Amino acid sequence: MSKFIIRKVAVLGAGVMGAQIAAHCANADVPVILFDLAAKEGDANAVINKALAGLKKLDPAPLAAKDRLQHIEAANYGSDLARLGECDLVIEAIAEKMEWKLDLYAKVAPHLKAGAVFASNTSGLPINALAAGMPVAQRSRFCGIHFFNPPRYMPLVELIATTDSDPVMLDNLETWLTSRLGKGIVRAKDTPNFVANRVGVFSILAVMHHTARLGLTFDEVDLLTGPRIGRPKSATFRTADVVGLDTLAHVVGTMQATLPDDPWHEHFRTPDWLQALIAKGALGQKTRAGIYRKEGRKIMVLDLAHQDYRESGAEMFPDVDDILSLRSPAEKFARLAAHPHPQAQFLWSIFRDVFHYCAVHLGAIADNARDVDLAMRWGFGWAQGPFETWQAAGWADIAAMVKDDIEHGRAMSNAPLPAWVFEREGVHTAEGSFSAAASALKPRSTLGVYQRQLYPDRVLGEAPDDRGETLWENSGLRLWRRPDQDARIGIVSLTSKKHAIGDEVLDGMLEAIGRAESELDGLVLWNDAPFAVGANLQQVGEACRAGQFDMLEQVVAKFQRTSMAIKHSQVPVVAAVQGMALGGGCEFVMHAAHRVLALESYVGLVEAGVGLIPAGGGSKEFALQAHAMAQRAAGGDVFPYIQNAFQTIAMATVAKSGIEAVQMGFGRAGDDILFNAHELLYVAIRRARAMAESGWRSSLPGSAVTVAGRNGIATCELMLVNMAEGGFISAHDYTVAKAAATALCGGEVDTNARVSEQWILDVERAQFVELLKTEKTQKRIQYMLETGKPLRN
Amino acid sequence: MSKQIQDAYIVAAVRTPVARRNGAFRHVRPDDMLAKVLREVVAKVPELDPAEIGDVITGCAMPEAEQGMNVSRIGLLLAGLPDTVPGVTINRFCASGLQAVADAANRIRLGEADVMIAAGTESMSAMPQIMGNKVSLNPEIFSKAENIGIAYGMGLTAEKVAEQWKVSREDQDAFAVESHKRACAAIAAGHFADEISPYAVRSYLPGAGGAVRITERILENDEGPRADAAMERLAKLRPVFAARGSVTAGNSSQMSDGAGAVLLMSEAALKRFNATPIARFRSYAVAGVPPQVMGIGPVEAIPRALKMAGVAQDSVGWIELNEAFAAQALAVTRQLVLDPAKVNPLGGAIALGHPLGATGAIRTATLMAAMQRDRALRFGMISMCIGTGMGAAGVFEQI
Repeated sequence: MSKFIIRKVAVLGAGVMGAQIAAHCANADVPVILFDLAAKEGDANAVINKALAGLKKLDPAPLAAKDRLQHIEAANYGSDLARLGECDLVIEAIAEKMEWKLDLYAKVAPHLKAGAVFASNTSGLPINALAAGMPVAQRSRFCGIHFFNPPRYMPLVELIATTDSDPVMLDNLETWLTSRLGKGIVRAKDTPNFVANRVGVFSILAVMHHTARLGLTFDEVDLLTGPRIGRPKSATFRTADVVGLDTLAHVVGTMQATLPDDPWHEHFRTPDWLQALIAKGALGQKTRAGIYRKEGRKIMVLDLAHQDYRESGAEMFPDVDDILSLRSPAEKFARLAAHPHPQAQFLWSIFRDVFHYCAVHLGAIADNARDVDLAMRWGFGWAQGPFETWQAAGWADIAAMVKDDIEHGRAMSNAPLPAWVFEREGVHTAEGSFSAAASALKPRSTLGVYQRQLYPDRVLGEAPDDRGETLWENSGLRLWRRPDQDARIGIVSLTSKKHAIGDEVLDGMLEAIGRAESELDGLVLWNDAPFAVGANLQQVGEACRAGQFDMLEQVVAKFQRTSMAIKHSQVPVVAAVQGMALGGGCEFVMHAAHRVLALESYVGLVEAGVGLIPAGGGSKEFALQAHAMAQRAAGGDVFPYIQNAFQTIAMATVAKSGIEAVQMGFGRAGDDILFNAHELLYVAIRRARAMAESGWRSSLPGSAVTVAGRNGIATCELMLVNMAEGGFISAHDYTVAKAAATALCGGEVDTNARVSEQWILDVERAQFVELLKTEKTQKRIQYMLETGKPLRN
Repeated sequence: MSKQIQDAYIVAAVRTPVARRNGAFRHVRPDDMLAKVLREVVAKVPELDPAEIGDVITGCAMPEAEQGMNVSRIGLLLAGLPDTVPGVTINRFCASGLQAVADAANRIRLGEADVMIAAGTESMSAMPQIMGNKVSLNPEIFSKAENIGIAYGMGLTAEKVAEQWKVSREDQDAFAVESHKRACAAIAAGHFADEISPYAVRSYLPGAGGAVRITERILENDEGPRADAAMERLAKLRPVFAARGSVTAGNSSQMSDGAGAVLLMSEAALKRFNATPIARFRSYAVAGVPPQVMGIGPVEAIPRALKMAGVAQDSVGWIELNEAFAAQALAVTRQLVLDPAKVNPLGGAIALGHPLGATGAIRTATLMAAMQRDRALRFGMISMCIGTGMGAAGVFEQI
């Protein structure tokens, strides 16, 4: 079998989804041709170019770095169809109209490259019916490929086979989507709305149903259906506003039209109030009014009782609040079901009806229960899927409660629970997850790409992961290894809260590096997201209050020693980064010999937010970078390279992707960027091994680093004077930024003076401690500890 | 007057169109622009023997990189002037071009030369940072409070002027709208046609089959003026130099590229080369003010220049007052009680653009063309504020 290579992708349809899918391919260094209709007059590609320009403005950003846009070419169906012959994968993402799609398929089919994959991003149309629009010879290369919005950030892609789809092609596509684009794949059946939307939209309908039945308000329901039950902050109704109320109504309409035999069919309709909003043109965020509306700083919510907007600000009933804080899911559900308060009844009802719906439909819509749970996590951002929630709460007890409610007419449908529910003690087991269709347990996919995921997303009830062998640990971190992967590559994982870096982490890191140098061939720094949120501010704040500045200086010195130990270790240290790597976490990353960065890495030196500067070697690393880059430039002036770093540090700018992290200087060219964060550890272990095997050696500390010195500091101050006088920054912002400038420029020495790496460390440490002694910095630290937000003072 | 031996006359003045920064001239070199206007201004007097040119004095506010290395000498050699003609580059920031005219006139007035060229050239597109290719400030500036104004950005000084002379945002925006209106009307009336030498801009682009594709576009008019400038549009712009300020991109001068050249002669030279004078150079003055309010500089310079020329302010019929910012132009106009109708009758830098060191030479061309259109216009003046706190003014008298 020849290798599956996708050298170029075509995306048909430059709408919201098409353009963003194109952007994500471009993120992954896959060139894309983005097609749409030719404009009737003027530039034929006007529609596509407008969509491409829009990509730069969307938030959250579809592009992982601005320069990615150059990998997307605009084309139109009028003159460029022949260019489809360049593409190995064609993704159709035009409007959800069967006739339009079939028309397009007939037009493009003759131009497809032999062996190219053609896939539709339809969210609702039957894939087999679409396949019929393709010539017979090309049907084996056709399937459904359903991305979720926004496609860069939502992991889920549902892959839907037709009766003719080539299984090898599907495996190849799954492999590519998983590793190259970093997606989580669920193989869905060709049923209306597939898996995630089928369950997710039902869940929204159930929420709406019980909201009306129990007379709750919209903001109250959003309070109940958000993070407190493991769902996104936008909860239910704010999500509906974001999605668009018209879009939601359309999807509900699809369910109504295509699922006549669904026992819940009577509920597949949009409530009158929602239709009224749509009729008024209040479609949600895109029209600036929907269920919510912003008035200045106030967030107003529609109040059905008064048929008007009022200021939002619902509160949770204290008992319900207490129940949701319970640790035991079993107790939680039992008490919700038993509590008479409408909020409690509401919560039990929405879970019950989703459990009920999923149990009845499992066999028809999904291969197994794990797929349903992962689809809801990856496609809707639920912390747990419905089946794992149910199982964790006690399978049989919940089943009995649901059954009782069905029998007493309290559930939304009187369809009985399927028999298998009562024959089992759960759906997820160490051997696999239950398939209602096959009446058997289905283990995880054995596809090769999943060997790269040492710690994949697991549903509750699955076999526990191999936690490896602990070599050493203290209260801050654990040094361990995975002998099945490489017994001589150590792994350091922080065990502190949010992976904050306190004294115990520094001690642990120094010890781990010492052990690695004498006993191992390499070291990997790997944590689940976040990589590390920075120094332990609690410890810093307490020491400040106690006036222990000498002690603090010693801690900073230890931090610097730790960073230097990472950098100058006798074995290669590879940082495997995902999520936030801020402040001290960023400094560890910067000092590593190599970085393996997940695409979704948010790396930055954010110390300025708490009135400090990077002093764990972060400022020093930028000074060294400037020196190195200036060596290659005519004239050798370091300041231009300092200037960007100064702005990055003074404004506490955080890189919004692994790619940006490298571009901003937190990483280096040659670092690995992985789109699937689950592959980080696998790759980092192998990277460390390869470095150990290929003659890697640690660099020596710099002894003659050219610094920008006094003129450099003055030139940074030029910017500060103007910002301060213009009222853009406070006097303390000025003080903090000047300290950063001083550290970056190597102190008040002559411009172009040559200093040692240690000298710069001493400068940044001295500046840091001086800032700590200021009242305003202390207030910033305190405020951050109390509120989690930066104080502008 | 008594100190000079002879008068200096302006015989010809030409300029390029002024392009927006990174606009039509983004790839045009400032030394090429200079060479172009030098050739054109010499050609205005057909009988002139170029070897008789005593010196070419060129103003440039950021004389470095593409416009470094004594751009004046390079420009005149590129223009094909004899290599016996010397050249010098001078810098007084935004007054560089006018300073060049004054210096050239003074060489004639002292009897040291009979034919001189004054010029100005500036490509702000060529400067990656507005303050030059390499910015490096003296640490002393920040160690003494009285020096801090040196570090003020020009926009911030405009905010300080607006604050101190109480110039409102509405007045600044209205001034900007008027500048665009006057400029557009002047272009429509063809008033700039006499002073502008259309510029052929060549572009070298990657073409098909590995060939470089060369295209040429002729720029005939200034790029800056906007027919659609209106209060409502300007009101939407945010202040850029102060969080609660009033100075916006819309009521500030435009950053631009351009060049101008002025040919000056003594009376003897006029006769020898059969040239017709347009105006007599009467006086030039510069004065210092606090750097924090550099925009107010003309308030000190204008009365001095008038006094030296012995000309009453009311006798001046045309004033080219560089609109670095509407805030300072309004403050100067109000403080000196200048007649707004006589200030920038064809619009100013907010619409026409402000290629720093070239502006003085460019506006000299505008004033000379105005005098040629209106024989009754006797006295004209050119004035501007200067970064780090100065003002300059020059007085011209039609012959």
